[in-house]
Amino acid sequence: MANESDHKYAVDVNKRIEVIQAEMKARDLDLYLGSRIRTMSFIVDAFVPWRSYLVIPADGLPTVFTFVIDATRLLSETWMDEDHVRGYFGAGGAEQIDAIQYFIDDELGIKKGRIGYETGMSTYTAEGYLTHYEYVRFAEALPDFEFVNSHDIVDGASLIKDEGTMNRFREAGRIVDEGQKAARAAVEGGGWKGMTETELGGIAALAMRRAGSVSEWNFAGLNEISSGWRTGLGACTPPTTKEFAAGEALMFDLHGMFKLALGDHSHNYLLAPATERQRWHADNFVACVQFIADNYKVGASPGGLITALGDFAEDRGCSDFILPGVEHGIGLFGDEWRVGASMDVPIPYWTDPEHGYQENEMVILAMQYAAEEDDIGFRYENPIIIKKDGCELTSKYPLAIEEIE
Amino acid sequence: MANMVYLGPEWSEEAKKRLEKELTPENMHHVTSSMSNIYQNTPDGKEKYLFIAFDDGKVSQFEVGEGEPPKAEFKIIAEYETFAKISRGELGAVRALTSRKLTLRGNMAKAMRLAPRVDRMNKVLATIPTDY
Repeated sequence: MANESDHKYAVDVNKRIEVIQAEMKARDLDLYLGSRIRTMSFIVDAFVPWRSYLVIPADGLPTVFTFVIDATRLLSETWMDEDHVRGYFGAGGAEQIDAIQYFIDDELGIKKGRIGYETGMSTYTAEGYLTHYEYVRFAEALPDFEFVNSHDIVDGASLIKDEGTMNRFREAGRIVDEGQKAARAAVEGGGWKGMTETELGGIAALAMRRAGSVSEWNFAGLNEISSGWRTGLGACTPPTTKEFAAGEALMFDLHGMFKLALGDHSHNYLLAPATERQRWHADNFVACVQFIADNYKVGASPGGLITALGDFAEDRGCSDFILPGVEHGIGLFGDEWRVGASMDVPIPYWTDPEHGYQENEMVILAMQYAAEEDDIGFRYENPIIIKKDGCELTSKYPLAIEEIE
Repeated sequence: MANMVYLGPEWSEEAKKRLEKELTPENMHHVTSSMSNIYQNTPDGKEKYLFIAFDDGKVSQFEVGEGEPPKAEFKIIAEYETFAKISRGELGAVRALTSRKLTLRGNMAKAMRLAPRVDRMNKVLATIPTDY
């Protein structure tokens, strides 16, 4: 029986399928062959970690093919029934290509036509585009089909988040805030002495798990923790066994996952004694983040925000330290790194600087400050929901850089 | 009992009888499914099939024939000799599948879950005195 919580986080997958199928018909596609993690999450609505394929016919329900060792677990978590959750295996007729070829031929009864598939490039390894080998094998197995790159169908369908999805992100935000509270409690009052980045990552992970997170999602090293000179390295810092030290900056970039929604909040501290120069950098960064958070709204654009931030930072005298970017995409498990869904962009597979944000679109407000010569840097990340006149921060942890004794 | 010819009318009759007697709804976990084994390169050169269907764990249909088999949830295709080796216990079904000696068409995940029940069925068939 559905409870209130289920209702709050419910998503209408049938509607998603209808939107995709309508676009397939508009493009004269008989089938859609999805292979990206984000496509699995969007339609299967369950954690799909193994290489998987989603076959969506122009009419009717989709069928997912995953590594057979995980098919039963997946069946227990998805809305899809046994007939639509298939396993592949290294066996005659059952390996990836054969299983899908036979399914299309025998069960869907489609002998020729056009197949939309997913190819392209991305910034992270696990995107899941069809490999060249897979493409060649599918093309050989289905010789009477024309293959058409169509990933932007799913990208477009998933751009604006529905209420259940936004609620999942809100809950993921609450969870990472619990991690941030635990992390702060662990380091304050001298607790940081002798503590390593990896240990802090584990403390935060435990707190988030207790709060309902099911994963610290691993695209960039679970929880990213950095301290001292490592805080100025850029936007990816898997934790190391480096010990925290007095007079350093700390950066806690915590990741949680709730019903496939990814929590992602970065918070920064200064370990006492902080120098005036460190405090100046910290104040600059907080001001820049607040400036950008205040400027997100429907109709704003990535290019416009970056330009405005550049002017703001120039006025403060810190433009040399602000990295040129204010965001990246966020989606259900998987990634929506580039902002927007259009393929008509200046640089393919990168954010369109002229993209106009729409209501209930989500991005991660992501900013990076790096002053390597001072061995200091800061990072801010927070998934936000674009609203008509502003944005909603899903992590409510206060924006500040405190000095901790 | 004299040996019967594999897939012959006499063998088919005996197989049906033994399966109905020895496979109970309980030990077949009330399964409802069907499968066709397609035998290629049989000794007489014809392509043959063995079709079996279960309804709530009971054998509801059993048929050996030539040509197009009845529509089944699973279709298993192999050389006659491969099926014979499996029936004689000389080759495991999983080994045959993973070495591509058998080709399965159907829901692999479901097939894996049903595999122990198919093994149970094969064990019954293996008790029939047979000339391959």
